Amino acid sequence: MASLSSPQQALLRSLAARIVPAAAALGTAEQAEMMHLIAEALSDRTPEVRRQFAAFLTLVRWAPAARYGRPFDALAPERQDAVLRYLQDCPVQLLRAGFWGVRTLILMGFYARPAAGATFGYTPVLDGNAVIHAADQR
Amino acid sequence: MQQISADVVIIGSGAGGGTVAKELAPLCRDGVRTVVLEAGPRLRDDEFTGREFEMARTLYVDGGGFLTEDKSMTLAFGRAYGGSTVVYTGTSLTVTEPAIRRWGVPGLAHDDVLRRSRKYLGENHVHLLDVADLNDNNRLFADGCRTLGYRVEQFPLNLKGCTGAGVCNLGCPTGAKMGTHRVQLPEAERQGVTVVTNCTADRIEERAVVATVRAHTHGEPSAWQPGEYRISAKAVVVAGGAVGSPALLLRSRLSASLPALGRYFTCHPALILVAQHERPITNYAGHPKSYYCDHFADSDGFLLETCMYFPFTTAKSLTGFGADHSRMMSAMDRLQMILVLAIDPPEPDNRVLVDRAGRPVVRYAFTEQVRQSLVRAMRASARIFFAAGAARVHAPASSRFFIEASEAGRIDDLIPTSGLTLGKVAIASAHPMGGCRMGSDAATSVTDAWGQVHGVPWLFAADASLFPRCAEINPYITIMALADRVAERVRGRLPDLRASTP
Repeated sequence: MASLSSPQQALLRSLAARIVPAAAALGTAEQAEMMHLIAEALSDRTPEVRRQFAAFLTLVRWAPAARYGRPFDALAPERQDAVLRYLQDCPVQLLRAGFWGVRTLILMGFYARPAAGATFGYTPVLDGNAVIHAADQR
Repeated sequence: MQQISADVVIIGSGAGGGTVAKELAPLCRDGVRTVVLEAGPRLRDDEFTGREFEMARTLYVDGGGFLTEDKSMTLAFGRAYGGSTVVYTGTSLTVTEPAIRRWGVPGLAHDDVLRRSRKYLGENHVHLLDVADLNDNNRLFADGCRTLGYRVEQFPLNLKGCTGAGVCNLGCPTGAKMGTHRVQLPEAERQGVTVVTNCTADRIEERAVVATVRAHTHGEPSAWQPGEYRISAKAVVVAGGAVGSPALLLRSRLSASLPALGRYFTCHPALILVAQHERPITNYAGHPKSYYCDHFADSDGFLLETCMYFPFTTAKSLTGFGADHSRMMSAMDRLQMILVLAIDPPEPDNRVLVDRAGRPVVRYAFTEQVRQSLVRAMRASARIFFAAGAARVHAPASSRFFIEASEAGRIDDLIPTSGLTLGKVAIASAHPMGGCRMGSDAATSVTDAWGQVHGVPWLFAADASLFPRCAEINPYITIMALADRVAERVRGRLPDLRASTP
């Protein structure tokens, strides 16, 4: 997982716990799978995009220090949410887009895990028509 | 660099390139050497797993998340043997007469486009699904539209033996979708056309294409060994899509002046609305896109379609995060979805460019008209959901995460125009169009009505980049109809081109 440093992974875990609360309850293997998917997706992007991602993570970590005197991962959950809401609605489009990008990667890491679908009611089968016909019989 | 000699090189194997390849294939009997260069892989049947991350990464450029320059929209377009026809839902509409009239291309008549479109409707086994195979997600949309008096129609689809796996946008795992990877390309190869996968066209030179074949990581090995190639040709047809084709021409050293190249890019900007029902419904089982509503196309500039996306795509399409977001995602089997698409105008400054490395960059600004269309479309969709019995609705531009059924009378207030904040709301497009638009004036167009690039008799375009304005419908049948015209022109010109090639 060359494209995600340990501090980056730690921050992503903090962010994930606010963006998808259930991510905080994932076991070690599931957390690793989530980080693996994020790293894989980043590895497909250009070096410029990877640099922008790294720069935005740094901003998310340290920008709250100016207001709260602590980095993002040391804030109480309510204040973390306030920071994320600020970024989501920020007047500067580039920052909104940066948050959207990080949020998207975290959602991908959580929801694109193949084994996770059953936990949120997603269990597709090849013969979907049979599922429809069976439901119509009920 | 290896040197290859061919008569026709086609760049791209999707709806445009696959069609041209099949149409020119009979010439192989007369010794005409035709090569198709495709950037993506050719997957084996057992590699279509339907798994979201894996398939998106393999079959789409940038995993389906190609960002526009200001990062306000993502574009989804395919990269595989069969191009985007591998990853569309197979919706097979024919372009309307008013749309072709609005295109205003001298020499391009609706009758001709319709005649050629019908040829591909037949070739691709297009038909309406049996209503017994339609799931609740689709039926509820139709019911809601009818309750409200909105015109709603069933999509004709190009399926054969569909079992309703429901993952069309991830490549059909049962091979039921009749894209060019199932119909036109195998037929072209049977007649002698060579399809080279994992092959990126780097640039076009005078009657030649410089391309690179990469080692394969998925699917079948390429027909050619990895390495750099220079393929000389009598005719070159670019069909790399509305992003890829203009970008390729922009990074090539063409002798002609083409001020409109890359410009007038349109894409039907789209949003997903999601509703939650109190009980499970059938939604991800069965074909995902069975109905559309064009009731508002003329009056408000938008289309509505049924859709059903996968967990990650659904999650990223919702605005916000935290408990409400998770509550919506906690029961995918209760979700109903509508895709809204804006009919966007052709603007010269909405364009494809290339960066210093030659990579495509899409610059797209949302007009006020498009913003208004998207907001009105969200309001109409929310009404449809509630008319269909939904308990609550998530509209990406709403002032709150959920709109409850009890608030259905306040939809206009709860989905304000000001809520459509770029960079916050997930806007995506799967219909990139324009950039090599047809026309008679070289100042405002790139090709003539038959796809020949102005001033370059051996160079043609044959994909959605030809569209002078958006198609106002799902575009692939129209792409095939235009590609059929281009193939006819190439076939007619080839003897002269062969004679005039040094």
